[in-house]
Amino acid sequence: MRKLQIKDKQQLISTIDKNRIFILFGVIFLFMALFAPRFMNVFNLTTIMRTMSLNATVAIGFTLILVIGQLDLSIGTIITFAAVVGLGLKESVGFGLSVPLAVAAGGVVGLINGILVAKAKINSFIVTLGMMTVLQGTIYTITGGNSISLSTPDAFAISDWLAEMFFPLLTPRVLITIILVILASFGMRRTRIGRNFYMVGGNSQTAWLAGIDTDRYTIAAFVISGLTAAVGGILFAMESAAATLNMGNSSLMYVISATIIGGTSMAGGKGGVFKTFVAVLTLEVLYNGIILFGLGNEVKIFLAGVILAAVILYEAYTSYRREKVLGQRPELMKELERDREAAAASSS
Amino acid sequence: MTEQKTQHEHIVQPEMQLDARAVKLNIFSKFLHTLGIYGIAGLFVIFGIVLQVFGVINGFLSVQNMLNIVDAVALLGIVAVGMAFVTYSGHYADLSAPTTMALTGIVCVQMLRYGFLPAILISLAVGISVGLLNAVAIGKFKANPIIWTLAVSYVTLGVIRLVWVNKQIYPDVMASSQRASDLFDAIYRLRFFGKIALPVIILIILIIIYTLLMTRTQFGAQLKITGAARKAAKFSGINVERIIGAAFLVSAVSAAIGGLVVTSLSRVGAWYNGAGYDFRAVTAIVIGGMTLAGGRGSIIGVVGGVLIIGLMNNIMTLLGIGTFSQDMIRGAIFIIVVGVSAKSLRSLGRDDA
Repeated sequence: MRKLQIKDKQQLISTIDKNRIFILFGVIFLFMALFAPRFMNVFNLTTIMRTMSLNATVAIGFTLILVIGQLDLSIGTIITFAAVVGLGLKESVGFGLSVPLAVAAGGVVGLINGILVAKAKINSFIVTLGMMTVLQGTIYTITGGNSISLSTPDAFAISDWLAEMFFPLLTPRVLITIILVILASFGMRRTRIGRNFYMVGGNSQTAWLAGIDTDRYTIAAFVISGLTAAVGGILFAMESAAATLNMGNSSLMYVISATIIGGTSMAGGKGGVFKTFVAVLTLEVLYNGIILFGLGNEVKIFLAGVILAAVILYEAYTSYRREKVLGQRPELMKELERDREAAAASSS
Repeated sequence: MTEQKTQHEHIVQPEMQLDARAVKLNIFSKFLHTLGIYGIAGLFVIFGIVLQVFGVINGFLSVQNMLNIVDAVALLGIVAVGMAFVTYSGHYADLSAPTTMALTGIVCVQMLRYGFLPAILISLAVGISVGLLNAVAIGKFKANPIIWTLAVSYVTLGVIRLVWVNKQIYPDVMASSQRASDLFDAIYRLRFFGKIALPVIILIILIIIYTLLMTRTQFGAQLKITGAARKAAKFSGINVERIIGAAFLVSAVSAAIGGLVVTSLSRVGAWYNGAGYDFRAVTAIVIGGMTLAGGRGSIIGVVGGVLIIGLMNNIMTLLGIGTFSQDMIRGAIFIIVVGVSAKSLRSLGRDDA
């Protein structure tokens, strides 16, 4: 066997680093499988899949937003907005029209965000923060402050169908999420358009010089983010046959944490949809396990914070180290050290 | 977030300078540029007066109403002027401010059993130590400010909820003596001359201190350079790590004071105290003309932003617009004001974002 060279070691570390979310998932899953009571059974695992569905769908678009180096704070309210539109219009036009309308509403919100960011060149933090406030007001205005719940037989039928386990771990809603994740993941990795998103995020000036219409990609990313948030929201609302007015609020922080833990960088140009998906799964397994241990919500929040903080700190620290040793060549440093030691030995 | 560089860095010939500088600004952005945020505040006041003259609303133009406006935004102002230092240093926002507020408040209520003054001191120290976490991670290791402060807010929230097990604690129950409890209540309710509330006084003191800190001290000057161009600041020998850390500490100090005020207001120590003050403060800061790119703006401007929010809320409430519709209008005005000011900055060839 060949001795591990410095380069191999670095390669090993970087491979581990790139795939750390899979390791994290494996460790947490294994821990829960071994120790958490009533964890390893089909029903519990299906519950995990069902709870993860909303945030996994929303995280697809959010990952894209981070990849192009922007931020979208409005996803939480888009979830609620789509749910309210979809369920609110159901009485008058039926699901056949109200669901596409709800999804389209999310897309339109994303389009407005994108145009304001790309064309009016306002910082995405500000645009989406403002949009969050506007949508919050809109939601409360159109519902009059009451949550919507459906109690007609056909609504319950759809709700039951969406929650029905037709295959171990899979319900139709979970299946839709997984199909979307696979499509998005494939699109981001293998198509030219997908790769261009990375280029825009990595360096928008270079991308522009290379002939990529950066504005169009920015707008597209916001539209996709709006669409996925809307799809997640309306599916969730249809399954529970109700839309509460703060149902999307917790998703924002959740999705941001998952995307970051999944290795997508805020600086843009790095990350992937599939890793985000695994990160959402990881958090969900962790939360589920905590509940099974009989611990409360507070432990959940605390652990999520600690994991997120650890990941950020680790990432920041490695780049800090890299900056420190930038341009240093370890073999030369070693030689210098050896010379110094030799000099010290000879002088003494 | 990628920094968007201005795309019109053409070299200007000296003799052509007059022509090249004749940038066309539309009336609104020209207005915003020359008068700043107080121009808009003036517009709102005029708007209110006009509405009152035509009899649409009542009681806008009275001393009591003006005091009410200031009263209502004093707490937001206390948080915002501190967080402004973070924005000024080019680090967007301190999203851990709400939980810092909650933590300070709940610790203070818990410590009231040892008397009023020790409780205040201990809780302020605890609040500021959250800022210390931010200072180290963001200043030293350059962690992304938004997600790091988000993570810290999660951790703080988790700590509060773990230690106090989702309970709310009441100052009159926890306090050792009636006096301590009364003093704690007085933080929000004490009024000077029967009119001006203590939070307003605190806000004014903070404005004075922070303005001096930002404009008259070495720290302020270094903070400006660090915010505008971190690398340049570093190479000119400024200890940027310490400067950025200090900015987060100032923010934590403000959030801690705000936490005491908000807890005194609600008379209950709980984990949800201060929720929403992160984004509200950012709104005020950015409306007040401080750009997210850093190094531009002033504390006085931020106070203007806070006042605008107060005026807007007041006029809309007097008009009888519902709370929820107010949100829509507020968000739209926010985007428009910031968009226009960014556009005018850009056409003047200065950095925006």
